[in-house]
Amino acid sequence: MKKFGNFNIAALVIGFSFLYIPIILLILFSFNESRLVTVWGGFSTKWYGELMQNQGIKDAAWVTIKVAFISSTMATILGTIAGLVMTRFGSFRGRTLFSGMIYAPMVMPEVIIGLSTLLMFVALAVDRGVFTVTLAHITFSMCYVAVVIQSRMSSYDDSITEAALDLGCTPFKTFMLITLPIILPAVIAGWLLSFTLSLDDLVIASFTSGPGSTTLPMKIYSMVRLGVTPEINAVSTILVGLVTLGVIAASIIGRKQKQQTI
Amino acid sequence: MSELPSVNPWLDPSQKPYIQIENVTKKFGDFTAIDHLNLDIYKNEFFSLLGPSGCGKTTLLRMLAGFEKVTEGRILLDGEDISEIPPHLRPINMMFQSYALFPHMTVEKNIAFGLKQDNLPPNEINQRVEEMLELVELSDFAKRKPNQLSGGQSQRVALARSLAKRPKLLLLDEPLGALDKRLREQTQFELMDIQEKLEVTFVIVTHDQEEAMTVSSRIGVMDSGNLIQVATPTEIYEAPVNKDVADFIGDVNILRGIYKGQNDVGTQLHSDDSDSIVFATQEVGASTGDEMWFAIRPEKLEISKKKPKNQHNILKGLIEDIAYGGSFSTYHVRLDSGRILKAIRANRVRTEEHHLTWEDEVYLHWEPHSAVVLLS
Repeated sequence: MKKFGNFNIAALVIGFSFLYIPIILLILFSFNESRLVTVWGGFSTKWYGELMQNQGIKDAAWVTIKVAFISSTMATILGTIAGLVMTRFGSFRGRTLFSGMIYAPMVMPEVIIGLSTLLMFVALAVDRGVFTVTLAHITFSMCYVAVVIQSRMSSYDDSITEAALDLGCTPFKTFMLITLPIILPAVIAGWLLSFTLSLDDLVIASFTSGPGSTTLPMKIYSMVRLGVTPEINAVSTILVGLVTLGVIAASIIGRKQKQQTI
Repeated sequence: MSELPSVNPWLDPSQKPYIQIENVTKKFGDFTAIDHLNLDIYKNEFFSLLGPSGCGKTTLLRMLAGFEKVTEGRILLDGEDISEIPPHLRPINMMFQSYALFPHMTVEKNIAFGLKQDNLPPNEINQRVEEMLELVELSDFAKRKPNQLSGGQSQRVALARSLAKRPKLLLLDEPLGALDKRLREQTQFELMDIQEKLEVTFVIVTHDQEEAMTVSSRIGVMDSGNLIQVATPTEIYEAPVNKDVADFIGDVNILRGIYKGQNDVGTQLHSDDSDSIVFATQEVGASTGDEMWFAIRPEKLEISKKKPKNQHNILKGLIEDIAYGGSFSTYHVRLDSGRILKAIRANRVRTEEHHLTWEDEVYLHWEPHSAVVLLS
């Protein structure tokens, strides 16, 4: 066993407390009996029950899941294609520029993405709603998928594809039977990543949503302005749980894929 | 006449070549990888493309497979122009250097993959897969995944997969490069057996000259996008066309000299390394004063402490280094001129009597027919 020094233990405790105390508090107080958010009044799950009665939150949750599902699926398809194309074409003039442009939305401030997509929708006279939020989410999450796929393809042996062609398989069938199954873990990881990104996005959704397309993060944000209630803690806890599950699943799948390639 | 196929079909003008590479050029941008190359390969040949890395041998192989398009010229297989046919429609299979096994499929699924593309009935596929597994002695490994196989086993799965479709032509890209020496030698013999048994034409790319010598019916030595010499292993070794080929295949001593003319012994050469004239039986068309070279293989140089009785082809020197190789020893002999020659002697006698050691003064001698005269 490795011995941890006192300093290391202290650093670890401080670091993790800094990261997780707020979230742990939130989860704890979601089980609070008392209506007062900061005063502990005993254990209870009544706020979760209350939550089920709240039509506004349920509607927002449904919108969020719908948007997240569709946008992550679309982003995965587009991002996978982008990632494949970037690796398959090897080096050509302007390759760095192209791959840079795919990654740009990752570092672009969300406010800018939200604002620019809003301007586009206004210019094209598209009515804002679930459709526009979904489109905007596809735009910003597809680059994450492209990154995941591209890093997977960097360790992909092209002669595997050639071997399939050589054995009489058509290019399309080769993609479906060979390439896709081999990179499938990366594709799923990309999907989970974009799903969670869409799930917890507030800024871009606020810019691009319209009537009837309030997402859960937006709903929570607007409720908080009227004061923090244990109900918000409860819904946030559920959201945290979902995102955590997604991230854990993505990393497990990612690890499995690493083992397979060795 | 006999029914047997000709042993040396390339010498028989009535034989039709199976693969005809006609004036093929391949350019990558400004770089010319293959430069107006012509080559005929006959049915059931085990043909090796040999050359240093970057000589274009892999590019040529990939053009046969269809992964690279020819820039100019054409490639015929059994009389049919295949230059424009995409790889998945060519009756040619390839064994890849990295083996390129499908990691998500078991050994038997890997082997069956090509057969499934031909929509063969399932029982025939199973039968052929079993045949192939037996051929490469991997029947017990049918259900394994590629990551559960050793290097040698993966290599045999790759071979089985590429042979399962009974291709007219099998291309092998450095097939044994990743194996250790002992396994490689064993596999070379297996490859030759399989090639004879299945009567498939093999074209193999290798940079390992020993491998090429062992397995091939003919070798094509390549350099900078063209063939320098196409001949049997023996011809390549014993009668290389120039210094580069002589040097690339095996060890060789090369003496530079000036052409003195022809007499009844053969070609006379005045060399800086010898006090007297040296001879080679081979006759060449040259005029007095031309620069030329004698190539002598180390095993054809006799080394002894006693001065040989012959008058010619004797060089004197000191043993500078000895590489003891068990069955034979290689001696590095420094001549008076300063040049170092290599001589190989079989260790046939166990006693010390015969022994040569460092700093011994020795004579090197060769028969006039042992030297090859090279004009370039």
